[in-house]
Amino acid sequence: MGTAHPVDGPGIETAARQVEVERRTFLDAVLAFGFVSTAIAVLYPVSRYLVPPASGEPATASVVAGRAGQLAANAALLFKFGSKPGLLVRTPEGELRAFNAVCTHLDCTVQYKADTSQIWCACHNGMYDLGGNVVSGPPPRPLERFDVRLRGEPGNEEIIVTRT
Amino acid sequence: MGEAVIRWLDERLDLSSVRHFIAEKRVPIHAQEVWYYLGGLTLFLFAVQVASGILLLLYYRPSAEEAYESVQFIMTEVEFGWLVRNVHSWSANVLIAAAFAHFFSVFLLKSYRKPRELTWVTGMLLLLLMLAFGFSGYLLPWNELAFFATKVGTGIAGAVPIVGDFTMRLLRGGDDVTGATLSRFYGLHVAILPALTTALVVVHLLLVQRQGMSVPLKVEWRLRAGARLRSIPFFPNYLMRDMLAWYVALALLAALAAFYPWELGRKADPFAAVPAGIRPEWYFLAMFHTLKLLPAHVFGFEGEQLGILAFSAAAALLLLVPFLDRRASRGERSPLFSALAWLILAYLVVFTVLGYLAA
Amino acid sequence: MSRPPRLVACALVLILAGASARAAYAQQAGSASPRDECIACHTTLEPRYAAPVAAFADDVHRQRGFACVECHGGDPTAADQALAKAPATGFRGAPRGQVQIGVCARCHSDAAFMRRFAPRQRVDQAAEYAASVHGKRLAAGDTKVAICTSCHGAHGIRVASDAKSPVFPTNVAATCASCHADASHMAGYTRPDGSPLPTTQRTDYEKSVHFLALTRRNDLSAPTCNDCHGNHGAAPPGVDAVSNVCGTCHAVFAAKFATSKHAPVFEKACVECHGNHAVAKPSEALLGTDATTLCAACHTDAEDPGFVGAATMRADIDGLKTGIERAAALIEQARLSGMEVSQQELALGEARNHLVLARTEVHAFSVETLKPVIAEGQAIVTRVERAGREALAELRFRRRGLAVSLGVILLVVVALAIKIRRIDREVEMEMRHVP
Repeated sequence: MGTAHPVDGPGIETAARQVEVERRTFLDAVLAFGFVSTAIAVLYPVSRYLVPPASGEPATASVVAGRAGQLAANAALLFKFGSKPGLLVRTPEGELRAFNAVCTHLDCTVQYKADTSQIWCACHNGMYDLGGNVVSGPPPRPLERFDVRLRGEPGNEEIIVTRT
Repeated sequence: MGEAVIRWLDERLDLSSVRHFIAEKRVPIHAQEVWYYLGGLTLFLFAVQVASGILLLLYYRPSAEEAYESVQFIMTEVEFGWLVRNVHSWSANVLIAAAFAHFFSVFLLKSYRKPRELTWVTGMLLLLLMLAFGFSGYLLPWNELAFFATKVGTGIAGAVPIVGDFTMRLLRGGDDVTGATLSRFYGLHVAILPALTTALVVVHLLLVQRQGMSVPLKVEWRLRAGARLRSIPFFPNYLMRDMLAWYVALALLAALAAFYPWELGRKADPFAAVPAGIRPEWYFLAMFHTLKLLPAHVFGFEGEQLGILAFSAAAALLLLVPFLDRRASRGERSPLFSALAWLILAYLVVFTVLGYLAA
Repeated sequence: MSRPPRLVACALVLILAGASARAAYAQQAGSASPRDECIACHTTLEPRYAAPVAAFADDVHRQRGFACVECHGGDPTAADQALAKAPATGFRGAPRGQVQIGVCARCHSDAAFMRRFAPRQRVDQAAEYAASVHGKRLAAGDTKVAICTSCHGAHGIRVASDAKSPVFPTNVAATCASCHADASHMAGYTRPDGSPLPTTQRTDYEKSVHFLALTRRNDLSAPTCNDCHGNHGAAPPGVDAVSNVCGTCHAVFAAKFATSKHAPVFEKACVECHGNHAVAKPSEALLGTDATTLCAACHTDAEDPGFVGAATMRADIDGLKTGIERAAALIEQARLSGMEVSQQELALGEARNHLVLARTEVHAFSVETLKPVIAEGQAIVTRVERAGREALAELRFRRRGLAVSLGVILLVVVALAIKIRRIDREVEMEMRHVP
């Protein structure tokens, strides 16, 4: 068993060996604890990673802007498209249209005016028609238009807005 | 319980040779034995890459329109996605560093000498495969830096005479770096390179197991003179030391992921101008910087072309080192090849540093 | 050569030159029209009389089929000058002054006639002109004022939408300045209050943000001289009309200003603070109480509610601006580190909206109406900052989590190291030969 110890008597040797065994068991326990902890530290994140996150998929060129039932005719709602606002409009005839809600003048967020069925920017009174074209005011360019599609059961479809 | 399982398998498969091998395998002990751990470390890091890579595969989308957003999704929406991504990115760098360290230690200790020539050849090919992994993987997040680094890198490949243009088109999947390049690099990174690497690693490991660990020349001479070789059993002594090295590597990865998290960068815009000071990752920097320093024309040849040809020739020669170094094969000292090894190491270190300073 | 042959030679050359010029001209006109003697003769004359013919080639009237005779009268079929310009032919030479107005108006004020060529074009230019400063002075006998040809040209008249026309938006300032910037031409003219008419309008205008928009950003809706002064009925807007004039484009500002305390006080409305020609790009620097601001010109007493109001409004807007910048920097830091911050970026866009609205609201010159706008903006900024700090805190939390794992791993490393030493001691180190 390796190096020899000077032996004074059988009692001390047994005691020494007992301490030795305790230390070894302690070390083994620590090691086992360490292995298990690191294993958990690896396996726990991996198991959580595998669970699909709530937001489903990366929102890239398209986003769900709302549900078909949410929007009446001659009304609009603002939705989030990435980090920019978008405007979803249902025309008086019932058609769905979507625009980039950032005004082309000085980047204010536009809104819908139901009384004139036009898109209006409150900052400097810019007016756009339902095609996104500038009707009056300072905006230099028309509003960017997005594609609108419906998906799902009729009556309660999801409205998918895609960058063209 | 473990014993019962082993007995069950033994009754059906006869594991006696395996058990004998494990019980009898020993690893030599000498002044240079610390270098033995590098091979296992490289393998461990490769395993980390495979595992983290497979996890990333579950959410990553290899198209120009979605790649960046999918990486952003992994980093922000997927639980611990940031951790998996950081581990994968950092481990790639540590893996290549370990692979190079392993390469240089073998080169300097002349472990490539007879009878281990094939181990050296498979090893060098593995090193090149690791570099290919690094190059192809770098593009996948589709951010600005990656896009332009790939553009420059494939452009350099295109500078090779005769086959350059064809190679560049083959790599890029077209004339420019586009979504087609991304698809191609993705296929390379997750299918082609892993398959080749697996095959070569199996051969490499089989050779090492079959032939045992090589010892430095000095130790070999002492043995020939009649000295006895100190060694330790592979199982459990050496294996525990290996695991120690692996745990240290794990600690390093955790520290890097914590203190230097990998950035997302900005999404690549193919129509934007190349940002100033673009340069590749550190493992390509020495080569890149050398090519930048070469004059436009050398002896009537285009400087860049000459540079690439020189590097290719160097790689080919390195592959053949065991066959060229006759003295080492005979078991004699071979100062020429030692000097060559030190020279290459010095060149790589100096030019990598210069490349960083130049930016 | 003797004299007669030389004369004949010269005559021949001239005739040939004239004929070829006319032939070329006829080719330009594009059809085998009856020979126009006006053109035929004038092309052969000295540049002063030949130039109009060359210029007329680009004229919009020529393209519609009109010829010299339509404006000048005379007989285009007579080659002899005396016959061509006989009084009986109605020849009126180069019409000037009131006569010219009549010549142009003969067609351009006739709605039925103009409908045949340009149905949407207005037909009240002459009437407008009569109401203008130029028209009134002309009626009083001043021949130095602008008449139709002064701005539109005489022979190479292009439509106003033609970029080469002197009345195309980007050219208008230069056209007006051809008289109004000429000190010798403008000498003697005075304002209603007796002070001499300035000649610096063009240089002032070229410093303005309107000029920049028109020429640099190619925004043809940006105003030039005629947008504020009128085209044909040109007159400087009366002081009571300034607000309306600026308000045709800057409607929101004019509306707010009309409700403000300054409206009854500022005679010149918008011009009081922003100038008339050299309208510079406004910023918060104009608002406040230190010497560089506009408010300080009147509000100097610290007790004055106006002084207090100016200081408050400036401080509020500055506060919102710096708040937005701080929040944006925080969010950008989080984003680059890989955190998801698109919601916060959206919110910051909204906050910036409020900053724009605040700058508009300033024109009501009321701290009470400005406060809610600022407050809304600040609320958004506060939310975004909190989200940004949370994102960065999450980063720190992750770091600490990893540090803990690091600790556990190092524990394993140490324990392993001890274990290895122990195992080495238990197992004998064999000395063996290696083949």
